[in-house]
Amino acid sequence: MPARTYRAAVIGLGRMGSTFDDEIRQGGQFFMPYCHAPTYVAAPQTELVAGADPHAEQGAIFAERWGLEERQIYADYREMLEAERPDFVSMCTTARLRASIMIDAINAGVKAIWAEKPFTLSLDEADEVIELAARKGVAIAVNCSRRYNVFFTEARRMVDEGELGEILQITAYTRCTLSANGSHAIDTMRYLAGGDVEWVFGEMESDEKAAGDEDLMGNGYMAFDNGVRGFLRGTPTGAAQWEFDLIGTEGRVRSLAQGMETQYYRWVPGGPRGRNLPARAPFPLPTTIPSMGPAVIEDLVQCIDTGAPPRCSDQDGRKALEIAIAMRESHRQGGCRIDLPLPDRSLRLLSSETANDSVPARIRRLSGQ
Amino acid sequence: MPGKVFRAAVIGLGRMGSTFDDEITRGGQFFMPYCHGPTYVASPHTDLVAGADPHAEQGEIFADRWGLERGQIYADYREMLEAERPDFVSLCTTARHRAAIMIDAINAGVKAIWAEKPFTLSLAEADEVLELGTRKGVAIAVNCSRRYNVFFNQARRMVDEGELGEILQITAYTQCNLSHNGSHAIDAMRYLVGGDVEWVFGEMESDEKAAGEEDLMGNGYLAFDNGARGFIRGTHTGAAPWEFDLIGTEGRVRNLAQGMETQYYRWVPGGLRNQGLPARAPFPLPTHIPSSGLSVIEDLVDCIETGRQPRCSGQDGRKALEIAIAMRESHRQGGRRVDLPLADRSLRILSSEILSDAVPARVRRMQSK
Repeated sequence: MPARTYRAAVIGLGRMGSTFDDEIRQGGQFFMPYCHAPTYVAAPQTELVAGADPHAEQGAIFAERWGLEERQIYADYREMLEAERPDFVSMCTTARLRASIMIDAINAGVKAIWAEKPFTLSLDEADEVIELAARKGVAIAVNCSRRYNVFFTEARRMVDEGELGEILQITAYTRCTLSANGSHAIDTMRYLAGGDVEWVFGEMESDEKAAGDEDLMGNGYMAFDNGVRGFLRGTPTGAAQWEFDLIGTEGRVRSLAQGMETQYYRWVPGGPRGRNLPARAPFPLPTTIPSMGPAVIEDLVQCIDTGAPPRCSDQDGRKALEIAIAMRESHRQGGCRIDLPLPDRSLRLLSSETANDSVPARIRRLSGQ
Repeated sequence: MPGKVFRAAVIGLGRMGSTFDDEITRGGQFFMPYCHGPTYVASPHTDLVAGADPHAEQGEIFADRWGLERGQIYADYREMLEAERPDFVSLCTTARHRAAIMIDAINAGVKAIWAEKPFTLSLAEADEVLELGTRKGVAIAVNCSRRYNVFFNQARRMVDEGELGEILQITAYTQCNLSHNGSHAIDAMRYLVGGDVEWVFGEMESDEKAAGEEDLMGNGYLAFDNGARGFIRGTHTGAAPWEFDLIGTEGRVRNLAQGMETQYYRWVPGGLRNQGLPARAPFPLPTHIPSSGLSVIEDLVDCIETGRQPRCSGQDGRKALEIAIAMRESHRQGGRRVDLPLADRSLRILSSEILSDAVPARVRRMQSK
């Protein structure tokens, strides 16, 4: 049993804060509980003590669903931070407000933040949050969930233990706007490659989109510092939906069909000229399959105890954003290689999830908009 | 039975001209006969009437193997062209001499040329051969053999008949030097996509290699005029040896492990959020599997009769070379998008197969024993 129970609060009581898990009926990409409130209720290390949302309808649904009293729901998250003094706080609002809420939460003395993606909209915002969190010793985990998915953690273990040999290539077919779900795609490529991106080339869906700040689809080529090369197709992917392909000299792991299948290939003798054949072998599952939300909590509890960075840290969140922006810069500059880090920190991507965010999606649906 | 039997001669009596098929013991990438000598012997359309090679050892082996008299073997191909007046001539010498020999053969009045790849070393050479070939009405087929492989033909039929929907992506994991076997990889990408390349981005194996003219490995991003995008990894591919992945909105074809397996995927109902699942279905084979070499001859005979271009034409050979050179130019220019066609026609790649070509590989092997 955990030595202590942390007080946890959720800010933003909509889909990711509360009800996302209801949409998922098959395992693979997610193992439940996954989203924030059900995780805090299920995790032995946390107690869900409060929620904050300016929209009263959201708060009422949240309180009823997760067994909170009316007084535990706040319209103003600042009041909640002041009154409840949570140890953990989840950032499940629109991305537009995430940086300023994280700053307020850090200043209010939280120990750990579990933030939805994208981490922030601009690089400036990301820098400010990371600098402050480092100074105050706050652990920030970004919910790029594949880092907490057993198939991806096993693939990374195989990388780390040399079972795939030298890693050569990571390919992602992941239809996405580059900030909204591109955060997941890019972070996963970095995680699997086990290296960092030195430069990128990118082509966006159109010149018009590339010129603006709105979220957009695009493709990119990434050069990693460990020699790996990455190809990301974020434009429509047709019959290849959400797929990652990790290729090493000794083996290969493919995650297919939105994570519903993971394949492992390794060399066996044979082949047309005796040069061996890549043959499919069972994917090596561990003996327990962790739930993804509780895996984040375990990670953050350990970070609080040891000061180590989370498996998907604020720096990782910033990197995913910076790579997406660099791919767009490549297009803006006529199609050329762009080195990281980017000197212009005012660059930003208005993540597509901020569209129409003055009213939460659930309320738009309820009111038939 | 064919109405006419054409007189065929092979220039360059080494591996591709004569004995390559001995190396292949399993089908998939090739169906026999594949290389030039055995194909002319097997084809009902052709009589093998002569061979030319400056190395006497090569000529003797060729004559014995394919049942020619010593009088049918020439040291000088110009004498052979003059004395034998072949209708078909195969270009199986080192690539260094290919353009010059093709020009002599066209001027000697041949009807068709079956040329090994790469088509030429420089763009200027390719331009000269194609201009002359067109003017003299000579059909030129380049032996980028996947265009004469049933799995690739069927994939292209599926593209043409809309079975894969709109084509979005072609990915090639094909460890190769970009002129040498890159000719195959790039041509197969163009063939499968059914479009042409408008611009490329490329990264070569090193700055030093990119600065020179020697053949080299590299990766590239290809923008096709029909909206498809291509990614080629010509650097080391580890556990993904020679693979093509063709992705459309409605289906997908993957050719794996050097052509030993071809997979077809299409949508079935289901999936994480009922968005459909890509499921594997049997690859639709035709009722007859043609031999690769015999398919080339059938194609060229039809070209002679109708005046149309071969399935893998001289223009296709030039395009593969031009795309490879453009990828290298992209690297040379610091990682910039490079538009096709290339203005500088003096650009060239010294295909890796011309290394040490003063003595044929077989003779080098025999001498080293």
